[in-house]
Amino acid sequence: MAESNRDLAAGVISADETGRRGFLQRHFGSEYERVTGFGEIVYEHDDSAARVWLASSVFWFVVVTSFGIIIATELAFPEAFHGISWLVFSRARPVHVEGVVFAWLTMMYWGAITYMTPRLLGTRSLWNEKLGVYLAYVYNFVIAAGFFGILTGASQGREWAEFPWPIDVAIICIFIALTFNTLMTVSVRRVRPLYVSMWWAIAAPIWVTASIFIENVVWRPGAIWSNPSGALENGIHDAMINWWGNHNLFGLWLTPILVAVVYYFIPRITNTPLYSHTLSLVSFWGLIFVYAAVGDHHILQSPTPGWLKTIASVNSVAILIPVFAFFTNVFLTMRGQWNRFFTNLPLRFVITGFIFYILVNLQGALQAIQPFNIYIHFTYFIIGHSHLALLGGFTILGMGVLYYVIPHIFNKPVYSTALAEWQYWLVTFGFLLFFTAVTIAAFIQGQGWLAGEPEVNVLPALRLWNIIRTLAGGMIYMGAWIQIYNLVRTYVSDTSARRRRHATKDNESSLVGTQPETVA
Amino acid sequence: MADTGTGKWLPSYQGFPQAWGPHPRKRMLMTPLLVFLGGIFAFAVPTLVAAFFQLMFFNAPVSNNWAPLSASAIEGRKVFVANGCVYCHSGYTRPQDVRAGLLYLYPRISLPGDFVSNDSSPNLFGTARIGPDLSQDAGFHPDDWERAHFSDPRFVEPMSIMPSFAFFTDQQVEDLTTYLQVRAGKDGLLRYATELYAKKVQIIANGIEDPPIGFQGAKLTLNDVKDLAENGSNPPPGKIFGLEWPAPLNIFGVDRSYWLADNPLPVTKENLLRGRMVFQERCIGCHGDKGDAVSEAAKFLRPMPIDFTSADDAGGGDDTSAGMLYYRVLRGIQGTAMENFGTRLRVDDIWRVVLFLKTIPNGGLDPDKVPTTDMYIQWQPPDGLLELVKNMPIQKNVDFTEKSEPDDPFVLAARRFLAGFNNDDKFDLPGFGELSLAAARDGIKAIYNQLLDQGWNDYFTRGGSPSVPTSQRDILPAFRIDQR
Repeated sequence: MAESNRDLAAGVISADETGRRGFLQRHFGSEYERVTGFGEIVYEHDDSAARVWLASSVFWFVVVTSFGIIIATELAFPEAFHGISWLVFSRARPVHVEGVVFAWLTMMYWGAITYMTPRLLGTRSLWNEKLGVYLAYVYNFVIAAGFFGILTGASQGREWAEFPWPIDVAIICIFIALTFNTLMTVSVRRVRPLYVSMWWAIAAPIWVTASIFIENVVWRPGAIWSNPSGALENGIHDAMINWWGNHNLFGLWLTPILVAVVYYFIPRITNTPLYSHTLSLVSFWGLIFVYAAVGDHHILQSPTPGWLKTIASVNSVAILIPVFAFFTNVFLTMRGQWNRFFTNLPLRFVITGFIFYILVNLQGALQAIQPFNIYIHFTYFIIGHSHLALLGGFTILGMGVLYYVIPHIFNKPVYSTALAEWQYWLVTFGFLLFFTAVTIAAFIQGQGWLAGEPEVNVLPALRLWNIIRTLAGGMIYMGAWIQIYNLVRTYVSDTSARRRRHATKDNESSLVGTQPETVA
Repeated sequence: MADTGTGKWLPSYQGFPQAWGPHPRKRMLMTPLLVFLGGIFAFAVPTLVAAFFQLMFFNAPVSNNWAPLSASAIEGRKVFVANGCVYCHSGYTRPQDVRAGLLYLYPRISLPGDFVSNDSSPNLFGTARIGPDLSQDAGFHPDDWERAHFSDPRFVEPMSIMPSFAFFTDQQVEDLTTYLQVRAGKDGLLRYATELYAKKVQIIANGIEDPPIGFQGAKLTLNDVKDLAENGSNPPPGKIFGLEWPAPLNIFGVDRSYWLADNPLPVTKENLLRGRMVFQERCIGCHGDKGDAVSEAAKFLRPMPIDFTSADDAGGGDDTSAGMLYYRVLRGIQGTAMENFGTRLRVDDIWRVVLFLKTIPNGGLDPDKVPTTDMYIQWQPPDGLLELVKNMPIQKNVDFTEKSEPDDPFVLAARRFLAGFNNDDKFDLPGFGELSLAAARDGIKAIYNQLLDQGWNDYFTRGGSPSVPTSQRDILPAFRIDQR
């Protein structure tokens, strides 16, 4: 225990330093000895920004799943919510879609970044923690205003870019400010080498900000709070840049931070060093070179130029190279640790999201190939695919992040692990049921259309699957309410006594929150 | 491979190198500057290729079909965008749609040149097709059908899962309808002009009021509908071979080879049951769940839907032979809300529906009964129709099949409306004027030019686009649905 102070100074080292020190030594070589030898001892981090971002994300998750269940109900029972303008399917859908990405996942991701950054850089807080807190409040307001705009008919009408023009500008400004905060924290860091997660946390916000700027054609405001605004002049050009930017939300924002989070939380929870620095490099540089040019695989059947379709198809398959480097790295890190998948709940969430993310990449590569794309284009298959990514992958991962991080930043264990277990199984099985239903429906659609049936003839065959889809959505929706209930009870209850009791039992499944500040 | 006996792979390795290089881990450490600048560079290269090369190098010439939107249509497009219609209705037709034979819904494959100028911004490509694609939908339905459909899609399409847009204002409904009717370029304008011309003829031949605009129709009650159906029509005087208006028009809308055609299917219980099933799936929206045409949709539609409960109409009507009913279900009736169900029903099912229609006066739609063969009313051609057939003999169809001016799209459109007419047939419709293929061609052409001129005038008023030459205006449309 002699060097434990020096270990803790790095911020990345747990008090349980077996393996942890070896991790840094193996990872950074002799650099470790030099860089972690000085600096103040940091036992606790500020985390006030992470608190606001994560608490907001939990709230928005309930909101966006509410809209999800509303639109699923309307597909199965079209007379539901009859004549209510702001609940009509076509207005509620963009709120669900934009909300999942910009409200729930983005706020959860910024919470994870503001949580990881001080720990990986050995600082007590962000460069300006108050800026992070302030931006979280502003961001909440901006998102609420964006939803209001869409629901009252001020949508820009470009998919995944529906927010009115001022909202786009506000999101870009907030992202720039947050990235600036991260970069300044990097400049005052105490740990010299940058861990892999920090590469992504620095680069991904820059990429996605640039992408949102280009995709939303911010330099062409048009009608400010209405349409048309933020669109290129020719529809064909506009569609291409629209879909290019859409996919960048996944490729340059959701995926990179998923990688960052997995690279941080899996070594941290399992107390194991990351397997390979080299594979991390392959995944980082490979992903950005490949992923920023795949968006046009959404419009492979449209009258867009063939060379662009070819680039999109080839790159969509080539994505498998960097992501397999990432998968390999994580699987080799997990070697000999798989028992913890069953005993440690946050780890189970993270690994489940990670595995669904593997599947979404395989599926995505398949459906970006022209012959298969002809079959599934315009069908529910796309809906299934995006839910595999956003619900199965990123959302379940985000729940793992919440259940791991919330005990640390609120300094108490979660209210109920049993509820968390319920949430895990409800969301996982709800998602699997949902995915099965929409995929079967997609094959009915694709087969019917290619056989010459018009859309309306296929609708009766979809009814059953739309109802099953709604029921599955209900399971996910229950998971969302369990999550907010559990975390609110965590916040308002005094669970410190229970924490002490559990800590002595050394029960791994109750590790949710039992090793708070000692893990730095 | 020979065993070197050393147990090593490379026995030729000699000694150590001169100096160790830096350790790989140290070489590959990422500094913040590398992450920042390298990240930006790595983002910029694929962005240049995928996002900006298309702007620089892909400028498709405007397609022959392209036509500008009128000012009202631009407003309608904003309504379309604001309410997210694109999440179910995609905005381009794909090669496989046309290959699958969905020609009535998707008569042509979208071209890059269809999406030029500011009229097509923001893009409406869409990602899912829960409803049909709307890029080529113009002119397949009359305006009053669109209004009823916005009010509640189940009014006119019982199988639809589209939500109701009853919260639209009347102005929004009119703008949106205009947009849908003109968005498909010149081909769509031609179909729409045909609908408008046919609507004018139908209104006069039936002697009824124009359809109510916006959602005004929704304010009527079902009693008003019943009243309108009984007393609302005042057909023009005069007869054609003893047939009163609008019966001649109903007959002229049908290809003459169908006029006296009988049903090829036998009257069996199975056929009647299947016909009733199809009727209840597709037809009760407008024709009412009792078949008496007292329905929500009827509030919006002029002419009103047909009442099938009248025994006279089913049995001895002038214009209700099995062949004529079949043709109307198959192709729709121009100028009325009757759709071309040939797009979505098998022909044998259409014949079964036609069989079933003749049982409705005797309780075929009674929920407590099953249609039986003794409910079926055998249709007998009235004298007037026989006389008409004698005077417009079917042998003249030899001439009819050999089209004159087969490339003139306006003639083809006129034939779509007056399918039963020969080139030299000519009748007088009191209050309207001459009813003939030539008059219809000229009338449709005038409406088409008026629509096109309005689009171009509004286009120049709002600034136009240098990428579209004005000679574009003179390229003729194509009538792409093969009516021959």
